[in-house]
Amino acid sequence: MKQLARLLALAAGAMLALSTQAQSPKSGGELIFPVPSEPPSYDGHREETFGLIHPVAPFYNTLLRVDPNDPAGTKPVPSLAESWTASPDGLTFTFKLRQGVKFHDGSEMTSRDVKASYDKIIFPPAGVGSTRKGQYALVAAVEAPDAYTVRFRLKGPSASFLLSIASPWNFIYKADLLAKDMHWYEKNIMGTGPFTLVEHVKGSHVVGKKNPNYWDKGKPYLDGYRAIFMRDSGAQVAAVRGERAHIQFRGFSPAERDSIVSTLGNKITVQESPWDCVLMVGINHTKKPFDDKRVRRALTLAVDRHEGSKALSKIAIVKAVAGVQVPGTSFATPPEELAKVAGYWPDIEKSRAEARRLLKEAGVPEGFTFTFSNRGIPMPYEPLGVWLIDQWRKVGLNVNQQVIEAASYFGTIRKGDAQVHMDFQCGYIVEPDLDLYKFLSTERNPANYGFYQDPVLDDLYDRQSRATNVEERKKLIQQFEKRLLDDEAHYLMTLQWHRIIPHSAKVKGWTITPSHYLNNTLDNVWLDQ
Amino acid sequence: MAVTPRTVEELTRAEAPRPGWASAVRDFVRQRPLGAIGALIVVVMVVTASTAGFLAPYDPLETDYAAMLGAPDARHWLGTDAFGRDVLSRLIYGSRTALMVGLGASLIGTVFGAVIGVSSAYFGGRVDLVVQRVMDVFFAFPVIILALAVVAILGTGAQNVILAIAVPMVPRCARVVRSSALAVREMPYVDAARAAGFGHRRIILRHMLPNVMAPILIMMTAFLGEAILLEASLSFLGLGVQEPIAAWGLMLRGAAVQFAESAPWMAIFPGLAISLGVFGFNLFGDSLRDALDPRLRTQ
Amino acid sequence: MARYILKRLLAIIPTFLGVAVLIFLLLRVVPGDVVEARYMGEGGQFQSQDQMQIERKKLGLDQPLWKQFVDWMSGLARLDFGLSMWTGAPITEEIKLRFALSLQLALMATAVATLLAIPLGILAAVKQDTWIDYAVRVFSIAGLAMPSFWLGILLILVLLVVFHWLPPMVFTPLWVDPWQNLQQLIWPALAVGYRYSAVSTRMMRSAMLEVLREDYIRTARAKGLWLKLILSRHALKNAMLPVLTIISLEFAFLLGGLVVTEQVFNLNGLGMLFVESIARRDYTLTQALVMLVATFFLVVNFAVDIAYAWLDPRIRYR
Repeated sequence: MKQLARLLALAAGAMLALSTQAQSPKSGGELIFPVPSEPPSYDGHREETFGLIHPVAPFYNTLLRVDPNDPAGTKPVPSLAESWTASPDGLTFTFKLRQGVKFHDGSEMTSRDVKASYDKIIFPPAGVGSTRKGQYALVAAVEAPDAYTVRFRLKGPSASFLLSIASPWNFIYKADLLAKDMHWYEKNIMGTGPFTLVEHVKGSHVVGKKNPNYWDKGKPYLDGYRAIFMRDSGAQVAAVRGERAHIQFRGFSPAERDSIVSTLGNKITVQESPWDCVLMVGINHTKKPFDDKRVRRALTLAVDRHEGSKALSKIAIVKAVAGVQVPGTSFATPPEELAKVAGYWPDIEKSRAEARRLLKEAGVPEGFTFTFSNRGIPMPYEPLGVWLIDQWRKVGLNVNQQVIEAASYFGTIRKGDAQVHMDFQCGYIVEPDLDLYKFLSTERNPANYGFYQDPVLDDLYDRQSRATNVEERKKLIQQFEKRLLDDEAHYLMTLQWHRIIPHSAKVKGWTITPSHYLNNTLDNVWLDQ
Repeated sequence: MAVTPRTVEELTRAEAPRPGWASAVRDFVRQRPLGAIGALIVVVMVVTASTAGFLAPYDPLETDYAAMLGAPDARHWLGTDAFGRDVLSRLIYGSRTALMVGLGASLIGTVFGAVIGVSSAYFGGRVDLVVQRVMDVFFAFPVIILALAVVAILGTGAQNVILAIAVPMVPRCARVVRSSALAVREMPYVDAARAAGFGHRRIILRHMLPNVMAPILIMMTAFLGEAILLEASLSFLGLGVQEPIAAWGLMLRGAAVQFAESAPWMAIFPGLAISLGVFGFNLFGDSLRDALDPRLRTQ
Repeated sequence: MARYILKRLLAIIPTFLGVAVLIFLLLRVVPGDVVEARYMGEGGQFQSQDQMQIERKKLGLDQPLWKQFVDWMSGLARLDFGLSMWTGAPITEEIKLRFALSLQLALMATAVATLLAIPLGILAAVKQDTWIDYAVRVFSIAGLAMPSFWLGILLILVLLVVFHWLPPMVFTPLWVDPWQNLQQLIWPALAVGYRYSAVSTRMMRSAMLEVLREDYIRTARAKGLWLKLILSRHALKNAMLPVLTIISLEFAFLLGGLVVTEQVFNLNGLGMLFVESIARRDYTLTQALVMLVATFFLVVNFAVDIAYAWLDPRIRYR
């Protein structure tokens, strides 16, 4: 039943999006949207904040892009590349580029530019930052055999390669400018995108205007856009509520949505989707008694995720009960299967009785006290922290919360001083290679602050990463999930974040996806006014 | 010439026992009604804090997800918060946190400040100059910035908050105590004590400190109010006492502001409690100052 | 007089240096740094330690402490405040607009406080120990007792629910659109001003009481002529001195101390900048802010001292 409801919700979202596509788009208008944070630089290869994507992505194109009409946000479709082929052994990918694509200064985009951009991303020279370089570890070389062909040679088969080429961060830069100065793109903008830069006033706004020579004829529909930097969510809500801004691309809280809807009624369309962000409880395996998997399993069995989902979705930006993948996406475990995993049992009394039994067996006394370290960010860390402590109380555990400022949080956690802590996982695209990497043995991934070694888990990860058969991959991911969350209970998933975008009903052509880094080139968006 | 009582009444009145605690209190109430109200509020707060276990109808940590954001009704007199916890019970337990932090911080702040102020006045000369300059440095920081810095170094949590609030209070107390101590230093018995060969520490602690008790007490009551306010501000910023402990400033954070329109009781009552508490301490402190220091009686 | 001025000036220098050293060291004691704060953001799983070291080198964080301090101090001497470690923009730019807002707010709040304190203080003194006196004292202590951020929340709530109106949330400087600007700033000014009027009211009242005790005033009162005499320059001048001192000192504190008020009213001022820069471990920005506020405070202090000495010659010889 719940699965049906979830499917219906996704379908409704998709139908809403499709129905807006059914009308024919009107040209004109300026889209106004607040952005909560300002980009430290303009270089997409280097930054990781949406504060860069929202105002700057419209100036660029990527080689492939994620299908903007797909609510799951996982389908790669052509962008600067009009088609591609893969060799039978899966080790060579050849992309055929569009011809006649111009940079904003009038020069033509060719394979040289693509190669230079990807060389910068995958093989950055010393002193040049490339944040996601590790994702392309399997790429051996990037070649440009002729002006409109680009070839990637891989060291081994990779199920996630194509999607990684559709990454919203991989702006295609001009080779000549990179040759002159590798850091040029940090402070300057020159792309092929649907909009050109008019001005960026620091601390205030970014204005873009329609690129009349855009390669996708007829687009963009908008005359331009204005991204206004507004740090405080109260101000952003007031802007949307006062009809001074059309949309905010990250997400609002349930209370904010309610206040906007109650003021504007049907002038507002609300799109909601599970978000590719989740908070999980990390357990330090080097601290007793958490080295005992019975204790860890007890921690997850104590938590009533189903009730929590209903309650917390009213006050925080969380909702769906999830495993290691965003619910509703291709590799997510269906709810009936998930209900068999510890911590997801429908009968919470049975679950908590089992938790108490395990604790007793492991020798943990009633009223055992430990400290839960949480990150000093209000939403949704705070309400989830209160909730978790409350749930653990119900099996006789007495938990103190230690909130650490965001700037020093991971420094403390990395040292291994915390017993149990809150960790997070945010992906810019739903892809198991990215989403599961966090949980590998600490030896392989030093950013795993659970401090454990689990070769079985590592092996499952490697096998799913190479599995090009979708069904086989699904099975492996489910096995990975069961081991991670149930058998060994290395981590506890809390609840999936929930993305809520209330926007002006005039905004059409934009479909919500689980990632707030996708769908921001604004070429499909139009204003119905 | 002896004074002759003119009536029997006068005679008996002259022999009446000296006024005790009861009549001192009565006089205080009659002469300074505002101070009496303040004292009453303080007493109520102390009683609430000590008997929280009896008074509170619910466990302050007990959640009720079926009754989230509930309006005040027969079951929950002041409503429930975002987790279904009873606001009244959390207010009652919050008084305990407020008093603990307030008392702790003002005690530490005044004691350290007093010792520094008196020592500085006593030693005089170079020592005094240096100490004054150092105190000036701390003075130049706005109170909340100093508190933020201490929290950033030590971390959040009740104990660190007490320290964070005490630190900005030390120079302020030191300055006031120093001016009183300067007067005391000129007193003959201090010189006599020196001549008798008493050590510095003994003179400071046994002879000078007790004579500046009045300003110290007044500072402490004034600081208590400030401390409660500062704790509320720090908790509101998320840098003070942490969930799920019941603390008034903490109750004003997050959901209280977000749902202020639809569930205003979450924001109104904790703020009212803070205001009342600080109000009481200030009224009481003011009148205490009037009563204790005849020089300041003009106020 | 000149010697006194020189003496006071010389006293400022060690304090100034002390503040500089203190904030410099304090920041470095605090765990975490700006690189960590930036890169442990939302997508931080692929970030490696050596990438972060590259960034640290760029910001000069790998230099020995004494060298960083000397660099900073020599920059200060040339009035070059350096670049913000978080945004890379010159600090003067970052501070400019926010300083304008905070200064305006401090001035407006002080104006509100003064307009409340002086008449109320005089009234309470003249009607000492009557119910008017009590009412004034209750009113002003209530202002002291209410957390200004709570008052702010209530104000916004009332504006929203009763008037269906929210103050503008984006700052317009006074010279761009004065009406819009005042609409935004009047509410926090009221909330803060009310709070700060309490101390000044009390001081005004006690100063006034002193004046009223003077023999010539008492005789005048007996004769019914007191009002004119009180308001004469001589009497009021003596009363005003301590009051003006308090008002000036409070004003100096208002510049960087309105952290929580700014949060509630969503004001992009120095207080919020402080909190953000500490949270981001933006050393250069925090240091610059602290020096700015401290200098401001020291200057106001100095001006008050000189004014005192000018008005009361006895002080010059102490």
